Amino acid sequence: MGGKVTCTLGEVKQRADFIVYWGGNPAECHPRHFTKYTIMQKSKFLPRGRKDRTMVLVDIRETKSAKAADIFLQVRPGKDFELITILRALVKGRRVTDEAIAETGIPRDTLEDLIRRMKAAKFGCMFFGMGLSMTRGKHMNSAALLTLAAEMNAFTKFVAMPMRGHGNVTGADVIMRWQTGFPFGISFSRGYPRYNPGEFSTVDILVRGDCDAAFIIGADPGGTMPQPAIDHLKRIPTIVLDPHITHTSRLARVHITTAPQGIAAPGTAYRMDEIPLPLKPALKSPYPTDEEVVRRINEAIAELPFWIPDDGRPQMIMTTG
Amino acid sequence: MLRITGGKIYDPANGINGKIKDLHIDDTGKFVEVVAGGRTIDASGMIVFPGGVDVHTHIAGGAINFARAMTPEDHRRTQAFIRTKSRRSGLGGMAPTTFATGYLYAGMGWTTVNEAAVPVLSARHTHEELADIPIVDKSTLTLMANNEIMLDQLEKGEYERAKQVVAWYLWASKSYGLKAVNPGGVTAWKWGKDAKQLTSPIAGYNSLTPGSIVTQLARICDELGLPHPMHLHCNNLGAPGNISTTLDTLKHLEGHRAHIAHSQYHAYGGDGWDTMCSETVQLAEYFNTHPTITTDAGAVIFGDTVTITADGPWQHLLYELTGRKWGNLDVENETGCGIVPYTYRPSNLVNAVQWAAGLELLLLIRSPWQVFLSTDHPNGGCFWRYPEIIEMLMSADVRNESLKKLPDRIKGKITLPEINREYTLYEIATSMSAGPARALGLTQKGNLGIGADADLVIYEEDKNVARMFGHPRYVIKAGEIVIEEGDIREAPQGREFLVKPAYDAETDEFIRPLFEDCYTMSFENYPVEFERIEHAEIHECRQP
Repeated sequence: MGGKVTCTLGEVKQRADFIVYWGGNPAECHPRHFTKYTIMQKSKFLPRGRKDRTMVLVDIRETKSAKAADIFLQVRPGKDFELITILRALVKGRRVTDEAIAETGIPRDTLEDLIRRMKAAKFGCMFFGMGLSMTRGKHMNSAALLTLAAEMNAFTKFVAMPMRGHGNVTGADVIMRWQTGFPFGISFSRGYPRYNPGEFSTVDILVRGDCDAAFIIGADPGGTMPQPAIDHLKRIPTIVLDPHITHTSRLARVHITTAPQGIAAPGTAYRMDEIPLPLKPALKSPYPTDEEVVRRINEAIAELPFWIPDDGRPQMIMTTG
Repeated sequence: MLRITGGKIYDPANGINGKIKDLHIDDTGKFVEVVAGGRTIDASGMIVFPGGVDVHTHIAGGAINFARAMTPEDHRRTQAFIRTKSRRSGLGGMAPTTFATGYLYAGMGWTTVNEAAVPVLSARHTHEELADIPIVDKSTLTLMANNEIMLDQLEKGEYERAKQVVAWYLWASKSYGLKAVNPGGVTAWKWGKDAKQLTSPIAGYNSLTPGSIVTQLARICDELGLPHPMHLHCNNLGAPGNISTTLDTLKHLEGHRAHIAHSQYHAYGGDGWDTMCSETVQLAEYFNTHPTITTDAGAVIFGDTVTITADGPWQHLLYELTGRKWGNLDVENETGCGIVPYTYRPSNLVNAVQWAAGLELLLLIRSPWQVFLSTDHPNGGCFWRYPEIIEMLMSADVRNESLKKLPDRIKGKITLPEINREYTLYEIATSMSAGPARALGLTQKGNLGIGADADLVIYEEDKNVARMFGHPRYVIKAGEIVIEEGDIREAPQGREFLVKPAYDAETDEFIRPLFEDCYTMSFENYPVEFERIEHAEIHECRQP
């Protein structure tokens, strides 16, 4: 288990005749997604567009996206992992007990029909949202679905992709990976990158009170994080760069207003399939860009004595974990 | 200004083989006849090489960044670079981070690297990563052999149109040349299929075959006058018996220039994993009789690595064979990519054949101007293990020692035990620097002559060859001392090389509607802006 079998959104637009949304509600959360990239698009391989595609929605309740779906499967809350595991077994022709299937809330016939359709597809794609990745089981749910998609390639072409939200979170992931090897949850306290989600993730560091300053760009933890984390942000010098006044700016010592990215500041944003898109500003802003503010802070820090003493320590070490 | 005196010079581009000679470098970072003033390095008793040039490596872009994400367990057991005032932190290992990549390459004397596989759709990302790789100079190759807009033109017999489209894409991606990976096979993989026969039509096409793509793309590269010929990853990579595909491909290339990538993976006999054997004798014979074709070894080193290739169908097979993690990323209209972590073991018969085959090609192809040191990093092994390969090329004893680790069943499947050739320092300098620089058309690299870029490496003579090549005494990049006494002194920003092949002005309007059909971003946003390339240097195309 592990890895990810995926594609760029244009592949879905061009080829996907079978599309599953699992634990997501694109009709309301990604309003342009259906029309720009998936079920509504016509292509040289799927000339009749919507009519050439089958859409399945798996969720715990009937959201607005269910209206767009050909098949809606209402899974019992908290049973996603079990359902995916049963599908992985059935795909390979393994025996699954009636009791196990009954727990998922979906009849056996429906699952068998689903598997028939999956295997008959020419190009299948599974999108998954926070209803899968942020509910009980969390990353294990995502891993199970990614594995199902990988294993389907023994029968036909299949890919999977997370439905990501929030501005340019993918861009932050991508850059952290090329600079440090890890996407998030990184500590530089030993002078080189170490990764441990749950220990070095922002929320854990704040809740434990491990940091003595916070520098926040383009995020509003004051509105979303648990109270002990917010309390710590109030205790320490917190600096916020944001075009707007946010919950976090209200508790920060310093708020610096910056030009909004993509509207008044240029740059690059990474789409959810990790394709970089250039941002071309349409308006001028009286405020500096995030980049400019960070550069000026860096220059000011460079004037100060360097924080790691140059005492002949090795330039390179072997890490041990 | 810098003078290097008393060193033993190995400069194959100028035919200098171990002569003691002084080198002078001016303030612009070039070799000149003589300079007055500045620092002098006394290199008496030391060996001076032109800086290494890697003709085929994967160090930046969506694929290697995918590999980094997939291998956190490796990052925890590897070399870490600690932040200093002049240097960023980073991690080495199977898929090193960007800053570490620059430090590791420069740390063993390599000063120019060619990132060999870039989809245009994510070229902006690749260039951003390259800007974060310090010290070395860089170039990139654009993936073209599965680009459907281009393939549709070839299918229709519109060769001239296809040529315009290729030139347009090369400039859109701001790259230095063209890469062809499993022509037709990656596009077939988008339906879960592959293209193994050069003369059979590709899935989704009526008449277009891999063989015809190969021939026409090679001709396009020649007619556009690209400094580097078509860089080809042949069909049927890694499969037992693929030597026939490779030889057939080479026949399709006759009359054209070409560089065959990682040929070790394309030199196998047998008809299954049990009967797989090395057929490097046949392949080397072809190179020995066709001096205009070049290749890099794609040598295998035993140990852990992560395999990364645009060859999606091969990676699906490797995942099925190993049961390890599998990453796959199909890129709309253009290409695909697969990632599988892998461990090469001497006890594994297939791996043993692969290990021997890489060395055999380096030893059986007579001219080091034709076969270059590479591991197809990280596929056959990591680039920072090159010194181990150099040691094996220079010592038959070291090879024979390693042969003892292979299983008995290897007998009759490889040629390596019968080869006594040992590389000289002059030949190593050719294979690691002067040769790849010439194949890339980078006349100012791999060369210690007047006017060339002052990129060089100075080794302290050592009987332990791996240690000598792994730990140079000095590395000088564009006249600046970047490594001294084993420490990184400076981490200047390198340049990026690109080409601007000519194409008809109407090509934009020809591509636009086709583009809008299959892509999901706006046409205007697609080409990488020239201003975004840091320290860009455009190289001339010389049309015949």
